[in-house]
Amino acid sequence: MSTEQAARLAKNKIEKKKGKGKLSFFSAGGSFDLPFFFLILALLAIGLVMMFSASYAYAYYTPKFHGDSLYFLKPQLMYAALGIVLMIGVSLIDYRVLHFWSLIFMGVSYALLVIVLFMPAQNGAHRWIPYPINFQPSEIAKFALIATFAHLMSKYHDKMGTFRWGVLPYILILGSISALMIAEPHLSGTILMCLIGVIMMLIGGTKPKWFIIAISAGLILFVWVFFFPQYLPGPLADIVTEKLAHGFTRIEVWQDPFSDPKGTGWQTIQSLYAIASGGFMGVGLGNSRQKYMYISEPQNDFVFAVVCEELGFVGAAVIIILFALLVWRGFAIAMKAEDKFGALLAVGLTVQVGLQAFLNIAVVTNLIPNTGISLPFFSYGGSSLVMLLAQMGVVLSVSRGARLRKR
Amino acid sequence: MAKGPSKRMVTRMKILMVCLVFVFTGALLGQLASLQLVNSEVYQNKAIAQQLRTTTINPKRGTIYDSNMKVLAQSATVWTVALAPANIKDDAQLQTIAEGLSSILDVDQETIIEKGQNKKSYYEIVKRKVEKPQYDAITQFLKDNGIKAGVDMYEDSKRYYPYNDEASSVIGFTGTDNDGLYGLESMYDEYLQGVPGKVVSAKNAYNTDMPFEYETLIEPQDGNGLVLSIDERIQAILERHLEVAAKENNVTNRAAGIVMDVETGEILAMATHSDFDLNNPMEIFDADVANEIASLTGDAQTEAKKQAQFDQWRNKPVSDTYEPGSVFKVITAAMALEEKKVSVDDTFNCPGYYVVGGRRISCARRTGHGTVTFKQGLEQSCNPTFMQVGERIGRNLFYQYFENFGFTEKTGIDLPGEATNAGLFHTEESLNSVELATSSFGQTFKVTPLQMITAISAVANGGYLLQPHVVRQILDSDDNIIQAIEPNVRRQVISTETSDLLRELMEAVVFEGGGKNAYLPGYRIAGKTGTSEKRDKVNEATGQKDLRIASFCGFAPADDPKVAVLIMLDEPHADNIFGGTIAAPVARDIFADVLPYLGVEPRYTAAELQQLDTDTPILTGLSPADATTKAEQKGLKVRVVGNGDTVLKQMPSAGSTIPKSGTVVLYTSEDSEMEEVTVPNLVGLTVAQVNTEAANAGINVRFSGVGLESEDAVSTGQSVVAGEKVSAGTVIAVEFQHNVADDAADTVADD
Repeated sequence: MSTEQAARLAKNKIEKKKGKGKLSFFSAGGSFDLPFFFLILALLAIGLVMMFSASYAYAYYTPKFHGDSLYFLKPQLMYAALGIVLMIGVSLIDYRVLHFWSLIFMGVSYALLVIVLFMPAQNGAHRWIPYPINFQPSEIAKFALIATFAHLMSKYHDKMGTFRWGVLPYILILGSISALMIAEPHLSGTILMCLIGVIMMLIGGTKPKWFIIAISAGLILFVWVFFFPQYLPGPLADIVTEKLAHGFTRIEVWQDPFSDPKGTGWQTIQSLYAIASGGFMGVGLGNSRQKYMYISEPQNDFVFAVVCEELGFVGAAVIIILFALLVWRGFAIAMKAEDKFGALLAVGLTVQVGLQAFLNIAVVTNLIPNTGISLPFFSYGGSSLVMLLAQMGVVLSVSRGARLRKR
Repeated sequence: MAKGPSKRMVTRMKILMVCLVFVFTGALLGQLASLQLVNSEVYQNKAIAQQLRTTTINPKRGTIYDSNMKVLAQSATVWTVALAPANIKDDAQLQTIAEGLSSILDVDQETIIEKGQNKKSYYEIVKRKVEKPQYDAITQFLKDNGIKAGVDMYEDSKRYYPYNDEASSVIGFTGTDNDGLYGLESMYDEYLQGVPGKVVSAKNAYNTDMPFEYETLIEPQDGNGLVLSIDERIQAILERHLEVAAKENNVTNRAAGIVMDVETGEILAMATHSDFDLNNPMEIFDADVANEIASLTGDAQTEAKKQAQFDQWRNKPVSDTYEPGSVFKVITAAMALEEKKVSVDDTFNCPGYYVVGGRRISCARRTGHGTVTFKQGLEQSCNPTFMQVGERIGRNLFYQYFENFGFTEKTGIDLPGEATNAGLFHTEESLNSVELATSSFGQTFKVTPLQMITAISAVANGGYLLQPHVVRQILDSDDNIIQAIEPNVRRQVISTETSDLLRELMEAVVFEGGGKNAYLPGYRIAGKTGTSEKRDKVNEATGQKDLRIASFCGFAPADDPKVAVLIMLDEPHADNIFGGTIAAPVARDIFADVLPYLGVEPRYTAAELQQLDTDTPILTGLSPADATTKAEQKGLKVRVVGNGDTVLKQMPSAGSTIPKSGTVVLYTSEDSEMEEVTVPNLVGLTVAQVNTEAANAGINVRFSGVGLESEDAVSTGQSVVAGEKVSAGTVIAVEFQHNVADDAADTVADD
C-alpha cells in the first residue's frame, strides 16, 4: 500500500508540475478530491452568510437574546472553524480505522440513545443530551449506522445475496435504532436513518427481491394501519389511532396551510410568503422582510425560505445545484474508491447530506409535510455542524485513495 | 487492495445518483419555479398586506361661520390615550401608569389595570377626546417617571360649538369619528371632512417598525369651511322670542320659526323650540322632558330617551309638514289676482258658511261677515269669500299655481331631512269642488313651513320663487372663498304688478285686519295669520280633534321687502290660541329687533308720532311758563300744582319714558304735597276706555301691543295693580291684545 501511495504521490507531483493535474494538498497524506472540498467550503460559506442574514433580526428583536444580532453567528462561526479543522484532520486519517471503530461507535450510540430517553425534554421531545455540549445522540447513531453498515457489507460482501447475511443484520440494527428514536420521539430522524440504511443495502448487494418483499409488506402494513386500525392488537390500536389522527392533521395542513393559519400552518404560510416575495432575482441580500419574526426561528429549519426571499429563484437554484454537485461528486468518489468499505462510506455519508438537503427544502417549499429536518451547512447548530464536517472529512479521506483522475 | 466497488455496486450507484441528482433537484426546482415565478403574486400580496401598516392622519374638519364670520362650529385637536400593554415592562410599571392616568384623566384605576393585563395588545383605549391640558400633564407624567413606551396618545379632533343650542338643528353635530351625523355637518360632510392623510410603514411580526426607509407620508388635506347666511344675532333674536312664545302659550309640539331674505332666498335664522345643545347632543335639553324620562326605568326609559333625542334634533321648519290654514289665502289671492279672476273691490256674501258640492262648510265667524269686498275678505280671513274665489280660479289653474309656487316639490334647501309632502296634497285629478274649496283657505293639504315662507317671499319680491339656502360660501382651509352660492331664481310665479298689489293687501291685514298684533309703529309690516286645525290628531286630554297650529307669515318693509318671517306654534294650550293673537306678536317682536339691526330706519306717520313715547325733559328750576313751553315742544301736556315761580318737582321725573300724549305734573310750591291718586282697573278695557280712566285718575299710561286701529283691542294687564296709591302723573304700562278670534278656526267641519 505504501509503495502504491508513494507512486501515486510521485505521479501527482509530476502532473502538477506539468500543470495538468490538480493541486496537491498535504503532500504527507496524498491529495484529496478538491471539487468535493471546495463544494463543501462554498456551501458552508453561503450557509454561514445566509444563516446570519436570516437570524440577526430575530436575535435583535427577541428579548431572550439581549438585542445581540450576532447571537447566532458567533458560535456558528466558531464551530465552523472547528469543523473545518476537524474535517481536514479526519481526512488525513486512513478511513479504514473505522472498520474497528464502527462497532464501538454503534455500541456507544445504543447507550446514548437509551440515556437520552431519561434526559429532560426539550420542545417536548427527548432528543438532546445537554453534556458536555447540547448534542443529539441520533446524529452520532446516524454516522455509526453508516460506518457499521459499510463495515458489515464490505466484510461479508460475498454473502450479501443471502437473507442471513444480506438482510437480517441490517433489519435488526435499523429496527432497534428506529424503535429507540421513535421513543424520543424523532420521526423525521428515523425516516432519514431508514432511507440511508435502505440505500446502502441496495448498493451493498442485498437482493432486489427483498426490497420487493419489503415494499409489498410495507404496503400491506400501510393499508392495515391506515384503513383498519381497529384490527390491530389491543393497546396498539389506540396508540396507532391517536398517532394517525395527528398524522392526518399534518397532512391536512400540508395540503392547505391556511386551514390553521395561526397554528400549525403558520410556519409554512410564512415560508411560502417569503419564497414568493423573492421572485426571480430576490429582494437582495439582507433585505428579507419575512425574517422579521414572521418566520419563526429563521435560523433553523426555515433558513432556506429567507434564502429564497433574498436571493430569489436564481440564488435558490444555485444552492440546490451546489448540493446536487456535492452528491454527484460524493458518488464519483465512491465509484472510484479503493475498496468497497470506502465506497459504501462515501455513498452513505453523501446520501445523508443529499437526502437531508432535499427533505429540508421540500418542507420549506411545502412539497412534503412539515417534518423538522435541518439544512446541512445552513441551519444553526454547533454540534451537528461539527459532526457534519467531520463526516465530510471521512469522505475526503476516502477520496485520497480514489482513482479519480484515471479516467 | 484491488477490491474496489464491484460492477454491480457501480451500476446501482449510478442509478441512485441519477435519481438523487436529477429527480430530486428537478422536483425542488420545479416547486420553486412554481412558487417564485408562476404563482408568486397571491402570496406576495398577502406578505405585503401583513408587513405594511397604514396609519391614518385625520384632517382638521372645516369651520362653520355665520354671515359675519362668527365661529359657529370649530374643531380643535384632542387626543386618544391608549395603552400598549405589550410595551409595558412589568406589573410595577403598569401600576404606576394606572395611578398616573387615573388621576389625570379621572378614569377608574382598576379599569386601566384590567386593560393593561391584555399583554399581547398594542391598543387599549383608556380615554377619547382628551384635551390639551391633560395631554400636557400626561406627557410630563411619562417624562417624570421615565416611561418611554406603553402609553400612546393619538391625535384626534373634537368639535366645539360656541353658541351651544343656537341654530342647533341647522348646524347639526358630528360623531366620535368626526363624521357629520346631522344638519349641515352631515349635508356638507364631504366638504368639511377633508381628505385623510396616511403614513405607510413596514412592521415586523412583533408589530413594531422595521428599520427600512419605507415610510411614505401622504399629508392630510384639511376640510373646507362654510360661511352661512345665518346671522347669529338674528338667530338669537328669533330663538329668544320663540322661547317666550312657546312657554307663554304652553306649546306642546314645539314652535318653529324662519327668517328669510326675500330677495336672495338666504335663510337668516331658522329655529325650533325646544332644541338641543350641540356640545352635548345626546342629552335631553328640555328639563321637563329629561325629568319625565328620568322617572322611567329599563327599556321604557331607553326608548323614551331615544325618541326624545330624535324629537329634539328634528329641524321642524324643514322636516315637518302642516296645514297652513289662512296663511295660504295669500296664495289663493295671488292666483286670483294674477289671473284677473277677481278684483279688489269685488263683493262676496258670507252668511257664515258656504255650500260646495252638497257640503256646508262654515266660516270661522259662524255669524257670517255679511257682504264683504275681496280686500275685506282677506283682512278678515273670510272662508266663504275664498271658497268662492277658489271656484272662480278652477281646479286646473289652482293646481298649476300650487305647483308653480313650489308646493309640490322640495324647496331644494341645502339641509338634510327636508320633508316631502308628496301624497299630502290634492293632485289636479283629485281636486274636486270640495277639495278645491277647502284648499282655497289652506286646509286639507300639508306643506312644510319652509315651502310656505318661500312662496310668501315670492309674493313679496315681485313674483320670483327662490331656492332657499343656508350656506353662502365654501372656503378652503386658508379661508379663501372657493365657491359662492348665488341666489337661484327658479321661476317667476306672478307678475310684479300682482306682487305690488298683494303687498298692499297684506299690509292692510296687519294695519287693520286679522294681523293687527303684528303691527309695529314706524315699520310697514305685511303678513297673514292662520289658525289651522290638526284634523289628523286627537287631543288626548279632550278626546276631540281640537288641536291647532297658530301661525303667521309676513315680511317687511311692505313697500320694499327685505325679510320674511314665519312663526308656527304647534299645539298651543292657552286661553286664546289663534295665530293672530299668539303668533303675530312674536313676528312683530322679531321685526322690531331685526329691522333696526338690518339698518331699516323707522318712518313714523303723523298719527304714529302722536303715540310715540318720549323722554320727559328736565323741567325743575324753570318758571311754570318756560316749563310748559319746553314740555309742549316735546308734545307733552302739563298740569301745574301750586302757584310758585319755579318748578320744584315734576312727575314723572326727568328721563322717564312717557307717551307723547302724556301729562307731566309740575309742583311749584315748597309746601305742596305730592298728589296721590288711586290706580283704577285698566284691564279688560278698550284703548278709549283706558284713556278715559287714566285721565280721570290723573295718571299716564303707556300702551303696548296696540296699533292705531285699536277699537277691538282689549287690555290684558297693567304694570301697577288696581287700588294701589301712586303719585299723580305716574306712568303705568298697559298691555293690549287684539281680539281677532274671528280670523281663526279655519274649520272644515261640515255642519
